Amino acid sequence: MLSEKEKNEIETELKQYEHKRAACVEALKIMQHSRGWVSDDGIHDLAGILGMTPDELDGVATFYSLIFRKPVGRHVILICNTISCWVMGYNQVLRSLNERLGIGLGDTSADGRFTLLPVPCLGACDQAPAMMIDNELYGDLTPEKMDEILGKYSWERD
Amino acid sequence: MITVTINGKQIKLEKPVSILEAAKMTGIKIPTLCHHKSLEAYGGCRLCLVEIEKMPRLQASCTQYVTDGMVVWTETGRVVEARKAMLEFLLINHALDCPYCDKAGECDLQDLVMKYGPAAGRFTEGKRKHPESYDDPIIVRNMERCISCTRCVRMCSKVQGASAISMVNRTSKTFVEPFSGGRYNCEYCGNCINVCPVGAIMSRLHKHTYRPWFIEKTVDTVCSFCGVGCSVTAQIRGNSIVRIIPESEKGLNRGLLCNRGRFGYDYISNSGRLKSPMIRKNGSLQETTWSEAFMYIAQKIKEIKEKNGGAAIAGVASGRCTNEDNYVFQKFMRLVVGSNNIDSIAGFAYAPARKFFEKIFGQGVTANPIQGISRSDGIFVIGGDPTAINPVLGLQIRAASQKDIPVATVGYAPGLKGFAANRLIPKPSTEAALLAALLTEMLKRKPLPAEKTPFEEIIGKIQPVSLNEAESACGIASGEISACVDSLSGMTNPALVIGRDIIQRSEGQANLLLLAALAQALNGRIYLSSELPNEQGLIDMGCLPDMLPGGRPVAVDSFRKRYGEFFNAEVPSAQGLSLMEMVEGAHSGNIKALYVMGENIAFNIPDNKFVKDALSRLELLVVQDIFTTETTRFAHVVLPAASWAEREGSYTNLEGRMQHLKKAIDSVAGLEDWKIIAEVSKVLGVDMNYRDSRDILAEIAKVSPLHKGVTYEDMDSGECMWPYKGEPLRHDLNIVGIDMPDMKALLKKPEKDKVYIGVDKVLFHSASLSRNSFALNSIYSEPHAKIGKNLAAKLSVASGDHISISTGAGAIELAAVIDSDMPDNIVLVPNNFEGRGAFRVMGWKMNAAFKAPALDGMEAVLKKLERVSAEVSE
Ligand code: SF4
Ligand code: SF4
Ligand code: SF4
Ligand code: FES
Ligand code: FES
Repeated sequence: MLSEKEKNEIETELKQYEHKRAACVEALKIMQHSRGWVSDDGIHDLAGILGMTPDELDGVATFYSLIFRKPVGRHVILICNTISCWVMGYNQVLRSLNERLGIGLGDTSADGRFTLLPVPCLGACDQAPAMMIDNELYGDLTPEKMDEILGKYSWERD
Repeated sequence: MITVTINGKQIKLEKPVSILEAAKMTGIKIPTLCHHKSLEAYGGCRLCLVEIEKMPRLQASCTQYVTDGMVVWTETGRVVEARKAMLEFLLINHALDCPYCDKAGECDLQDLVMKYGPAAGRFTEGKRKHPESYDDPIIVRNMERCISCTRCVRMCSKVQGASAISMVNRTSKTFVEPFSGGRYNCEYCGNCINVCPVGAIMSRLHKHTYRPWFIEKTVDTVCSFCGVGCSVTAQIRGNSIVRIIPESEKGLNRGLLCNRGRFGYDYISNSGRLKSPMIRKNGSLQETTWSEAFMYIAQKIKEIKEKNGGAAIAGVASGRCTNEDNYVFQKFMRLVVGSNNIDSIAGFAYAPARKFFEKIFGQGVTANPIQGISRSDGIFVIGGDPTAINPVLGLQIRAASQKDIPVATVGYAPGLKGFAANRLIPKPSTEAALLAALLTEMLKRKPLPAEKTPFEEIIGKIQPVSLNEAESACGIASGEISACVDSLSGMTNPALVIGRDIIQRSEGQANLLLLAALAQALNGRIYLSSELPNEQGLIDMGCLPDMLPGGRPVAVDSFRKRYGEFFNAEVPSAQGLSLMEMVEGAHSGNIKALYVMGENIAFNIPDNKFVKDALSRLELLVVQDIFTTETTRFAHVVLPAASWAEREGSYTNLEGRMQHLKKAIDSVAGLEDWKIIAEVSKVLGVDMNYRDSRDILAEIAKVSPLHKGVTYEDMDSGECMWPYKGEPLRHDLNIVGIDMPDMKALLKKPEKDKVYIGVDKVLFHSASLSRNSFALNSIYSEPHAKIGKNLAAKLSVASGDHISISTGAGAIELAAVIDSDMPDNIVLVPNNFEGRGAFRVMGWKMNAAFKAPALDGMEAVLKKLERVSAEVSE
């Protein structure tokens, strides 16, 4: 079931388009924003509003790697694994994240705080190696900077 | 005029087409993978790349249109190199398990790699893995072979309109999946199988049963299931059909089929087929020889005819038999037995509706091409869900809707949900009130002309019904009704698709009159849904109590004489009995003998018990069939017939198109129905010397004024449309004998708390024949009772719970399925499964105008069952 808030936000989006289905990415984003991820039930509910079949909508949802179809942690770390970052020390950054969080790519930390995902180029090659946590970009990364950055997302601050 | 040069050949074109198409016209083949004739161009696979002079980069010929002066080369070194590269990319992740894959031999990818290479790929990384899926009863998917051409997905969403599958995930992890994995849970049309260029989606039924090069011959014939009459190609090995496929160039279905047509044919090889003639001796049916059976029947018929007259004998024809069978059957009944008592299930709805519309508009008014539906500017559907009854016709409606053509549906039509802008679901049996209001409003917007035709005079006399009156009768808000009128009034030549449910009613004639009036007001074309492949043929061949071949009334002396003169015989003048009257006659003792050809009347006629009672009172019941049925159990003689695939003949579909049914395999045991009749006739002293069905068709072409000179060759040419080469009956503009509907009675509100039972038309089944198909049973093996969510809540029933449904006629127990779209006070039960059909508990009233059973107002009491007795375990 969609919450009132989700419903209102989606309604607003629907008004922008001639065809309801055109709003599907926005609707997915709205749901993800309020729930963190999009479940099967969520797809069903959204498909109903958008006049699509669940399967069509799932095709869209799974196409975008930033729409999460599985539960994710409270914060999502997107680490760039493409050429510039790779040359500038991606491996060390990744290893330090692995060690600090105890997880590999695609995993969620045991405390449910972080999910670590690879991403191809954040468009921040000038600050390589780079990563993004939620909507915040972090560049020129070194293992040393990690504690401070991750500290910003501790439970106490959430 | 556009001039293009392709590989040095010049071609002139009126209008721009894709380079691919232009090349095809000049006989040049450009390889493709993602392109398919039934689908829009996609431009995804890059196999069709060509070189165009003055354009620096290679272009995809399926999406690039020709322009004047364009010079194209399709096989230059650059092009060939590029194709090779594209194929190398595709093979990075392709399983390449050709020796094991059933597609090998008819695989586009295999063929292209053989032609363009590469012999070996340069990628050494491992291939992606994805287990083969057997989640579905009739589809097997192997996504390691998928090349992401999206043909299946486009087919399913754009053509089939089911949108059951899509491409999920991205990059090398892209696979075609139904939502949340698991079963497709779809319409199982198999059209995705048909368009997959590789072995990624295949028929599970055919897995490892044969290879394409094992096929010894192919026969182009017609589907045996419904009145659409799709063209199918049977692929044969030895004496069995290994597969049925559609061909994109052939027939009105243009490469599409439904699940019944594609998979359901396997009933012909069911081991339960009747193998030998049987005669009842000492109370049980015992095998006998053909000649003994013929002698017995002839002897009995002779006795009864001498004692009680020909009118005590009646015949039931079949919409599954060919024109030739049915023609011979009515000739036998009329000229040999001397009785006009001949009818069929078509007499319940299809024939009366057709006759009614013809009386008003003239013969052949319902003979409209199915392809015209998607080209009309509006569609009005009533009386059943065409996507379940006539699936490929249903696709035309979905296609129209996808082109933004307005579709309005009246009644429960789940297959058109999401396609109909106006969905009106009236309370049970209140459609007339709704139709009258639609008509009244339409006439306000488009008044009848001052100079009225006789029919317009009649329309003028129909009592108007206001939106509010309709609302209180049928329970649909007046705003919704007038929104539907808004949509209707924008249509200039809509298609009206009319189903059985609206006809088989006490108020059936009123419904038809209102629909005819609506058709007149809308300038619409009428399509009658038809559940059997040859219902139209039954009418044309004279298998009606009041009609001779060619649609000539028996009552007219000159027609009767003319017909009799062909054979130096006399056609009885007394009007015959309708099927329902025959059953009543058998019950009351007036009918002593019943000859049934290819119909299961003890199951397919409402109130099974009454019918069985009637049958058990007969002195002679002869049944020709391919299976033991509820009806054969009462027979004195049972004769095994040849199945649809084992005979030649013709079918006439609902659009009035005659199509050539060809013999695909030899019959295991049965004879053609016409042959059996001819043999019986011979013993009775009337020779019917037909060597084959061709001889019969030649006689039809002489005798029936409608079928003058018709041949199988005409049918093979593909356009043997009504009125063939003959003359339809002249239309009598003075329309007589039409009763004005009694609006007051029609506006009566249905009683609120009552629940009524109706027949559920299941997409996966067809009367009582499909229960013999392994394939169809594997998709839909158990009958369900469908109820709406409010009714379910009231009974506190969840989907899967068992309920009992009882009526005055009896009770059945079924698992419930909840469909939130259904109206509240109705329960729908299919009539396909032995012992658990809707007609077991549905009674009928005689509709005097049609002499056919009216099925309305059958009250049912529903109860939740705590536990199913049959499933109690120790
Ligand atoms: S069988 Fe038909 S309905 Fe099912 S997925 Fe394939 S195309 Fe779609
Ligand atoms: S399953 Fe077949 S038709 Fe569908 S995308 Fe893959 S290769 Fe194409
Ligand atoms: S639509 Fe009718 S004729 Fe066509 S394949 Fe299906 S059952 Fe056969
Ligand atoms: S390569 Fe990492 S941000 Fe561009
Ligand atoms: S056929 Fe043209 S790109 Fe696939």
